[in-house]
Amino acid sequence: MPALATLEENIPSLRRYAWSLLRNASDADDLVQDCLVRALDKIGTVRSEGQLRPWLFAIMHNLYINRWRRTKVRAEVSAEDADAEVSVPPAQQAGTEMRDVMRGLAELPPDQRQVILLVAVEGFEYAEVAGMLGIPIGTVMSRLSRARDRLRDFVEGRPQPVLRRVK
Amino acid sequence: MTDQERPVTDDDLHAYVDGVLDAGRRPAVERHLAQHPEAAARVAGWQAVGASLREATAWKAREPVPARLDIARLLEARRARRWQPARVAASILIALAVGAGSGWVARGPHMPTGVAAVAMEAASVHRMFASADGSAAPYDAGAKAELASWLSRELGHPATPPDLSRAGYRLVSGRLVATDLGPACMYLYEGPHGLRITLFMRPMEKRNMNAPMRPMHGAETVGYVWARNGLGFGLVTSEPMETLRGLANEIRDQMSAQI
Repeated sequence: MPALATLEENIPSLRRYAWSLLRNASDADDLVQDCLVRALDKIGTVRSEGQLRPWLFAIMHNLYINRWRRTKVRAEVSAEDADAEVSVPPAQQAGTEMRDVMRGLAELPPDQRQVILLVAVEGFEYAEVAGMLGIPIGTVMSRLSRARDRLRDFVEGRPQPVLRRVK
Repeated sequence: MTDQERPVTDDDLHAYVDGVLDAGRRPAVERHLAQHPEAAARVAGWQAVGASLREATAWKAREPVPARLDIARLLEARRARRWQPARVAASILIALAVGAGSGWVARGPHMPTGVAAVAMEAASVHRMFASADGSAAPYDAGAKAELASWLSRELGHPATPPDLSRAGYRLVSGRLVATDLGPACMYLYEGPHGLRITLFMRPMEKRNMNAPMRPMHGAETVGYVWARNGLGFGLVTSEPMETLRGLANEIRDQMSAQI
């Protein structure tokens, strides 16, 4: 079944997204596993292969909202738990900028964190993100602006403004 | 206003960074960036942030996928899980919500059939409807007529539920339920000390199917199950009780006389 192959191809990026959201390897894989189980139940409803990837991320988003929102996000990349599998721990290979951006990411409100990861890392179109998160496209754009500006402040070492300037 | 004249907005800048800006809009955005150093710095910052995010998370996507996320393994687990009693209960609940007789999923290779399926469904129905919290539907005139009509239709002639009053059990509730093998009915009897027993009946997959009475043991239920002339029976309760076999025999005899 080609849909199953497409599903399988997306597992690495689902894991990347889940880990980036939760910053805990086992919580992230729990989320991916729940997502895959759900997807296998409903894969027959996906009409085209092009829809499968956004559909998978939408399932993951719903699971995240329902069950994982309260999971504490770890602020420090170096706090990655011990069972972080066989890869090089990111803190050792990451340059300052990467550490700063990941620290900044953890500080973002979850809704901004989702949008910037889906756009800048997972490469989704704005309309796909809007559909996936169930929000208007204008909301996607404003969250993206806030997320990008805040992460830029982090990386460039500016203190976090308490209030945003009204445009 | 043409594409060239429209003021450059944040949306344009994002589209520029993400490589999705319309070609016609590109010169205006580039001109804007050339004329506004703070906008150019913002865009450069966004680009750097994106690159750092991609770089800092790439290792996770390159990591070998752990065994527990293996698709073949998940499919196998799903097949095995599908016919656990909890899933049967869920399917019965869903069927109730949708209504009896609606379309139903195809059966896979791991599902029980025959009286084993009757046993599982009877146990699920008992757990769902016979709990002492009063969730059982009242056995009023409407329910009585509906069930009598179902039973009569299944048997092809007017029929009544078993009368267990001589054994001290009275009929307190009854309802139609949908299972994935078709519509079924359950009667709830209450006996001494509030003991509740559920009689579940469903037409078997094959007409004229017969199966001798045999005991069934679930995680939280015990009982007897049998089939007679294409109608499957399950008599279930929550606690082991010595008199259950006698009640099952009584029901079998009363129903056999009607079949």
